[in-house]
Order: sequence, then C-alpha cells, then structure tokens
Amino acid sequence: MKRSAITLGIALLVLACAAAFLVGGVHLSLGDLLSGRGEEGQTARLLASLRAPRIALAALVGGCLALAGAALQALLKNPLADPFLLGTSGGAAVGAALAALAGLSPLVSPAAAFVGAAAASLGVALLARRGGRLDLQRLLLAGLIANAFFSALLLGAFSIASGEAARSMLFWMMGSLADATPRKVGALLPYAVTGAAVLVAAAARLNLFSVGEENAAALGVDTERTKRVVFLAASLLTGVAVAFAGVIGFVGLLVPHAVRSAFGNDQRTLLPASFLAGATLLVAADAVSRAAIAPAELPIGAITAALGAPLFAWLLLRTP
Amino acid sequence: MSAAAGNAHRIEARALVAGYGAGPVLRGLDAAIPAGVIAAVLGENGSGKSTLLKVFARVVPIGGGDVLLDGEPLESLPRRRTAQRVAYVPQSVDLVFPIRTLDLVLQGRAPYGRGFVAETSDDRRRALEAMRACDVETLAERDAASLSGGERRRVFLARALAQEAQVWLLDEPTAGLDPRHRLEFLETLWRIHRERATTVVLVTHEVALAADLAARVLLLKDGRTIAQGPRETVLTAENLERTFAAPFSPRGSRFALRSEVLPAGSLEP
Repeated sequence: MKRSAITLGIALLVLACAAAFLVGGVHLSLGDLLSGRGEEGQTARLLASLRAPRIALAALVGGCLALAGAALQALLKNPLADPFLLGTSGGAAVGAALAALAGLSPLVSPAAAFVGAAAASLGVALLARRGGRLDLQRLLLAGLIANAFFSALLLGAFSIASGEAARSMLFWMMGSLADATPRKVGALLPYAVTGAAVLVAAAARLNLFSVGEENAAALGVDTERTKRVVFLAASLLTGVAVAFAGVIGFVGLLVPHAVRSAFGNDQRTLLPASFLAGATLLVAADAVSRAAIAPAELPIGAITAALGAPLFAWLLLRTP
Repeated sequence: MSAAAGNAHRIEARALVAGYGAGPVLRGLDAAIPAGVIAAVLGENGSGKSTLLKVFARVVPIGGGDVLLDGEPLESLPRRRTAQRVAYVPQSVDLVFPIRTLDLVLQGRAPYGRGFVAETSDDRRRALEAMRACDVETLAERDAASLSGGERRRVFLARALAQEAQVWLLDEPTAGLDPRHRLEFLETLWRIHRERATTVVLVTHEVALAADLAARVLLLKDGRTIAQGPRETVLTAENLERTFAAPFSPRGSRFALRSEVLPAGSLEP
C-alpha cells in the first residue's frame, strides 16, 4: 500500500468536505462558522448541521460505488466494468422500488436493493458468458440490455405508484442526496464498512485476477470462491448506495481510472484510495449540484454522467 | 527429491476426464511423468494437450479419474500448496492493466504470501534473483505490457523460478518466437532444468522441439494418450502419423515431416 496515495486521498476528502459545508444556496463564511457568535454564526451553524448528514451520505455513497467499480474491474480484468454500466445499480433500484411499491417499510429497502443488485450481476454475468468465460463485448451489451429492462420496470412502477411511493421511484431513477438524515447515514455505515472490508481484504487476490482468472487459479487462488465473495460484496455496496441515494452513474468507472493513472494498479493501494477518491468526487459533485443553479439543484447523476460519459468514450476507443 | 521418494512419478493422470462446459476434452487420459525430466506433450490442435496442462495447474477442474502429484491426489492438496509445487507458464497473457515487470514476477511469491501484507524483502530478493537467472533483470522497472513476445516468455519463466516450484508446466513455449529468441528461451530453460532438476511438462505441436529437448514424449489424440515413454521409442514415423494424420518419413524428403530424432544430449554444452 502506498501511504502517499492514502494520505493524499484523506487530504482531498477533508478539503472537499470543508468546501461543501460552505457552498450551497446560501454561502457561508469560514469565520462565521468557526466563531459561531451572533446571528450570522447561529445561521451558519444551523446550515452546517443541515449540510453535515448530506455531506456524510455523499462521501459514503461515492466511496461505495467507486470501490465496487474498482473491485469489479480487477475481477473481470476489464477497465469498463462499473456497477452502473453493468446494470447492478439498475437492479438495485428496481429491488428498492418494488419493495416500496409492495408497501414494505423503508428499512427493508437496503436489503431489497442488495437482492436486486445481486440478481442483476448474476443475470448479466450469465448473459455475457461464452464458452465458459466472460466476454468483454457481451458483458457491456448485457449491461445495456439489463439497464433498458430495469428502466422499463422502474417507469412501469412509477406509473402505477402514487403519492410518496411515486416520489421514491423518481428519487431512485434520478439519484439524489437531498433526503439525507443522520439516521440514514447511520444505517448505511455498517453495510459500507462490511462491504469495503471484504473487498479490501481480497486485494492481493484481485491483483492476480487483474492479470487473468487462469493466472489467479494457477497461483493458488480458489477463483470460484473469490468471484462469489467479490460479486456479493460489490453488489452489497452498490445496493446500499442506491437504496440511500438512487442511481448515480459512472462513479465506479471514473474514480478507479483516475486513481490507477496516478498510483498504478496494485489493488492494495487502488481499492482504499478509490474509496477515498469516490467519496471526494461525490462530496464535490454534490456541492456543485447545490451551488451551480441555486436555489434550484442540478441532479447529481447529471454531473457524474457529464464527467463519466466522455471518459467512457475515451476508454472504449483505447480498448483493443 | 525427498517428496518423490518411493514414487517414481512426479505427476500421474489415470483415466482423466476434464474439459469446459460442453463436452469433455480429455476422455480417459493416462499419463505418467517421472521426476526431473523434460516431458513433451504432442498432439493436434484440439487434442487436449493444453487442457491437460491446465488440469495439472488446477486451472481446469478434474471431471473424472485421478491426478496424482508425488503420489497424492491433486484435489486433496490445498490450492496454495499446489502452487508452491507446480508453476504454470501460459502461452500468452493479454495484459489489460499496467503492471511493472518486477511486480509480475513477484506474483510468483503469492502462494507464500500472507494476504494483504506487502511482499517481504526476501520475496523481492528471490524475484530479482530469478530475473537475473533468466536474463531479464534489466526489464524490472518496465511496464510488462511493453515487452516483446520473447522477453515476456522469459519473464514468465523467471516468475516460475521465483515460485520455487519443482514442476513447470509450459504451454507452447516457443510459439511465435523468431529463431534467435527461440534459441535464447530454450537455452535458459535447459540451463535451469539442468541446475535444479526441475520437472518440465511442455505442450507443443513442434515435433522437432520435442525431439531436441524432451527425454519423455506423450502423444495425444482426441483426449487420449496413444503413446508415451522415452522419445526414442515414442517418436516413430508410425506413431507420429497416427497422432497428426499426416505423412512422416524417417529421412525427410523435401516436404515430408521429419520424424528423425537428434542424438540424446545434443543441446548439452
């Protein structure tokens, strides 16, 4: 593990969080926030306390999505793997939406999203199998098909839902951090920690996978077991991220690519650094979404897609 | 050598059945490879020779029959223990992500690793030593994707050396190499084999390579062994014609394939 990468990641995340406290519909000054005196100080502290859970949720969701993307890329030996492009996020959204439609408690939505995400990864992997191995082009096509299908399901669910349920559908389709509460952050945290710990613990094996599955098997890795564990943990991270923030695309594609360019492909550095960088990206993107056209908000998924789609195009051109 | 005591065969396959999805590629194959020799596996494309190697490397699971490593059933061994004893050198590896050549060689130390912990300085020393032995130490800092075919073969040989395995499995080791790189590769392989008494199983469809390098030869057809034993007895025109369904002549007329065998030890200095 490169300490410099982790240190830089933490520093950038702290900076992004500090900036995110200050910008938004109302800009705060650091002085007001820190002194906390007088009317301005009180307003500043009130706003900061409203913004804090949102920033924490953005950080956790961004970290989960980026880490899931990085791990899937190594596992599948494919720099284009991303929970959004592979349909995992869509499956999670459908799972959560169906649970909401069935009138189940919102507490069930992370579990439902996890089941949806796992089912979607499994389905896409089965579609993309050819002669016992995952084919790159088929994988992307299968993700495309899965996403089209999940959009149809979400739109269908949206059209028959009403009131609060319809609002939730829209939320899962567009992705948003606006409903963040300390309780939600607290609910997401244990899932994020569990999924992240499992993936980071698999880093050394994922290094062998990133040269190839046969390579990993020949060097003593139980590849079937590792594939199951990594797929499940990535589905868990994606599922809970979607359950609490809706579908936010391209984070899992953008972030590992940038981290890999800067620090190389050693998963023992790449995975933890991707979590930190994903957190930083989403905290910053959310700050932009609040500040850019205040008092209205840009959908955060639009910002990540605007950054991610051109990168995807570029990667596609470079991939043989 | 002690591990092989009481058992003349380092690797043995009995009535082995294996393959991917559809139908088995290996259909009741028998093979016995003694310790410390170079054994060549010859056969047509699709005869199952690469699959056999992958079964030995535990990349492809055993579908039926037995594989014994030093007399122990392969599947009863922990995977990491197998990887400490058997090294697989693939025909080619398509590198998608950047990786430093030294890190690729260090992967050979993975079967001895402790999970997340970085490689020890001892691992690094062994990896660099292996690279020196294979004459690739100057490539240590290069991105492995930028290496030529010949360099890459020798880097993977260095990795097998760093893995400290007594059995090496080589899939088409000379395919696509020009004469000079072919010679350099074979000389390196021969030297290491002589120095360490490594058991080498190499897969090829070059009869000449088997004839020059291997003491033992296995001929495969349709997933079964049709002949195995010392090369002098196995590499006959008749056997080769059965294996490849092509005419072989002992003398070598203009276009006929040669079955003639070089005298034993012709590669030795």
